[in-house]
Amino acid sequence: MGEFSFGGGLTVARYRLGNGLSVLVLPDHSAPVLSYHTWFRVGSKHEQPGKTGLAHLFEHLMFNQTETLGAGKLDRLIESAGGETNAATWTDWTHYHSELPASELPLIARLEADRMQHLLLKKKQVTSEKDVVANERRYRVEDDIEGQVSELLYATAFTKHPYGWPTIGWMKDIEGFTTEDCEAFYRTYYAPNNATLVVVGDVEEADVLSLVQEHYGPIPPSRIPKLKAKAEPPQRSERTQQLHRPTPAPKLALGYRAPSFRDRDYPALALAGEILFGGRSSRLFSRLVRDEELVADLHGSTAPFADPGLYEIWLSLRPGRELSVALAAVDEELKRMCNKLVPMAELTKVKNRVELGFLQGLETAGGKAEQLGFFETVAGDAEVLFSRLDALRAVKPRDIQRVAKQVFDTRRRTRIEVLPKAEESA
Amino acid sequence: MTERMVTETGTVVLVEESHALPLVHIGLSLRTGSVHDPRGSEGLMRATARLLRMGTRGLPAAEVEERIDALGAQLGVGCAPSYVHVSGSVVASNLEPFFALVCELVGAPALRASDLARVKRETLAELSSLCDDDRSLAARNFRAFAFGRHPYGRPTTGNAQSVRTLSRSQVLANYEKHFVSQNVVVGMAGAVSAERAATLVTRYLRLPAGRGPSERVPPPKLAPGRRVLLVDKPERTQTQILIGTLGTHVDDPDHTALQVANTVFGGLFTARLTHEVRSVRGLSYGASSSLGHDRERDLWSMWTFPAAKDARACTELQLRLFDEWVHKGVTASELRMAKSFLVKSHAFEVDTAAKRLDQSVEIEVFDLPADYHSGFVSRVQEVTVASAHAALQKRLSRRDQVITVVATAKELRAQFAKLPRVEKVSVVPFDRV
Repeated sequence: MGEFSFGGGLTVARYRLGNGLSVLVLPDHSAPVLSYHTWFRVGSKHEQPGKTGLAHLFEHLMFNQTETLGAGKLDRLIESAGGETNAATWTDWTHYHSELPASELPLIARLEADRMQHLLLKKKQVTSEKDVVANERRYRVEDDIEGQVSELLYATAFTKHPYGWPTIGWMKDIEGFTTEDCEAFYRTYYAPNNATLVVVGDVEEADVLSLVQEHYGPIPPSRIPKLKAKAEPPQRSERTQQLHRPTPAPKLALGYRAPSFRDRDYPALALAGEILFGGRSSRLFSRLVRDEELVADLHGSTAPFADPGLYEIWLSLRPGRELSVALAAVDEELKRMCNKLVPMAELTKVKNRVELGFLQGLETAGGKAEQLGFFETVAGDAEVLFSRLDALRAVKPRDIQRVAKQVFDTRRRTRIEVLPKAEESA
Repeated sequence: MTERMVTETGTVVLVEESHALPLVHIGLSLRTGSVHDPRGSEGLMRATARLLRMGTRGLPAAEVEERIDALGAQLGVGCAPSYVHVSGSVVASNLEPFFALVCELVGAPALRASDLARVKRETLAELSSLCDDDRSLAARNFRAFAFGRHPYGRPTTGNAQSVRTLSRSQVLANYEKHFVSQNVVVGMAGAVSAERAATLVTRYLRLPAGRGPSERVPPPKLAPGRRVLLVDKPERTQTQILIGTLGTHVDDPDHTALQVANTVFGGLFTARLTHEVRSVRGLSYGASSSLGHDRERDLWSMWTFPAAKDARACTELQLRLFDEWVHKGVTASELRMAKSFLVKSHAFEVDTAAKRLDQSVEIEVFDLPADYHSGFVSRVQEVTVASAHAALQKRLSRRDQVITVVATAKELRAQFAKLPRVEKVSVVPFDRV
């Protein structure tokens, strides 16, 4: 169907099967390994209130049993072949990835195609996996302050749009899922016309295509329902929440309404974030961590979501420091970015950092496959991976200022504060 | 194949050339680490390493960070019990100025008293932040509880008391003792030739000639019996559990056999431990075991994180699985599966220049046999059911074990006291760091 250059003498071939499956193949003979990724265009934003966490629970269930493979057999076959396999779910997608020796291409193509169409969902396994996910939620949220805060930040910032509920789901929803819920989800969203296959490594394009045609070709497409996610109404005033937790020092999370990953302003906002948080010479690190010693840890980033999300800022203060002082310093730095053009040398510096990160992300076959799959799924085109780098290089100081003014507006901010709670020990 | 060179002053230089990307990874590794910290001065080596990044006499810390970021580079400084690692990545076109900067930081640091005071404050803040991370709390307390007064039990970061007492004179003496030519291994991987690497090292690396400290830590021992430590933290709905005993030394003839046996037990997603804890019972999202290695015998350990209500049941299950594994060994089919995984997955240990370099650096820093990595596959293939069983019985103790649990103690103390062969349950507050 087409091809595009990946750089370094490598070329990505793009195909689409008759049933709608998108296929990207990047032969890379630098090591005798293979990375095989399947990206489904379904995530937590496709869920309904009361059924949150279904996409993520389903990701777990995909490792169970098919009509021809017993429970756990998929993992055993992959590990026996020297491979590793895992998956991830977020708001817009679910992503399955396997890394194997290159000679195992026929095995993984057969296994992935099999579970795309022949998964068996049994009550016993659904029940057991619900317990596992509940444990995962305790690990990532209930007993993790940053996890709790992140969940509350999005729930407060998004009152209508599905980004307001957590991808792992609310605990009561996780506990309530039935086998029928899972079956309906599978039949609706796990179909070739809702997926992109990415194969990178020591493979020949013709071999990949032949196997893909053989194993995926017979899978029928599905009618994928059009997403009716409610648009989030504009935010006109700051929203705040406060938590008290057993922690030695206060924490602060800020979320500013931000453009989507697809938006033309996203690159400028990403660079603004680098200026503020990227590296130890960044404005907020040098001021809050090094010079004023207010903060032990901080980071900021834009959620790479297909719909408008949040620019998130996280500060973990040093014991005894005041949240109000840290917040005032952050406000001052954001205001400075809005009021004064970023010096060219500072912008060049962060562009160099971004370029390094880009290269580091492409070192392994798995890194290349992940980038291609992510851009194909979220940006709508894998080739954007490279035009995005060009767009980053083209950002000017006035772009940073314009986007900063638009995003760093306290009226469009959600603020979560965590205060230490004294507690008796046993 | 990694190129190996030795400079006139005895610094080993390792280079793994690859032009797949216009990127170079560099690393300067010391053969010594925090186990050399004097008792009461825990955290000294880590503080010394961190001070490298605080600049030279003519270059303040802020300027160092500006230069690193402006070069499109990343730099990290890490300290472990037996090594210190200053490592970074840079776009190939900026390799020379970046390497020159790193050499200046390592070879001529200012080690100012004011910067030491800053590092101490930062470390105290990090120790405070550690209290928010249950998994790290478990790991730190586990090693201290297992090794007691042995140097392996000392936290690399130090503790609040020891960090406060660190002095500049200690740092200066520590730097002079360890940062000498033969105690450093330089590594480069990526878009750089061996010839260019040698030129850069000759041009920029300035370290006094000399060998590092030769004293070694004594072989560690575990206190007898099955001991439990509860790290008491309020409001825990979930626990973090580490259970372990001493493992092997890399020179032990049965080291590889134990690695393979561990792969059967908890080294794979389909391993016994993961299968029974997660897949069959849904007790914990993760369950795994690992065999640590250092210059002396390190710990074998298993890790789970069940809900508080399931903590005792999960621990009992783990102890039973461990007993069966050591007593009865592994089956032929389990062994076949583990060997197949280890042999075939070896390709992923060497699929990038940086990984190949890491293996070579590890051999140098830990004085490992030259074929420690390259001969791994053939050693794995020689492991039999009998040799795996013999290694388990000889190396892993079913009597002397440590169990560390981060949990709300009032809910679990009595339950853990009833575990088989547990004589005492100790409790420490989570924020005593």
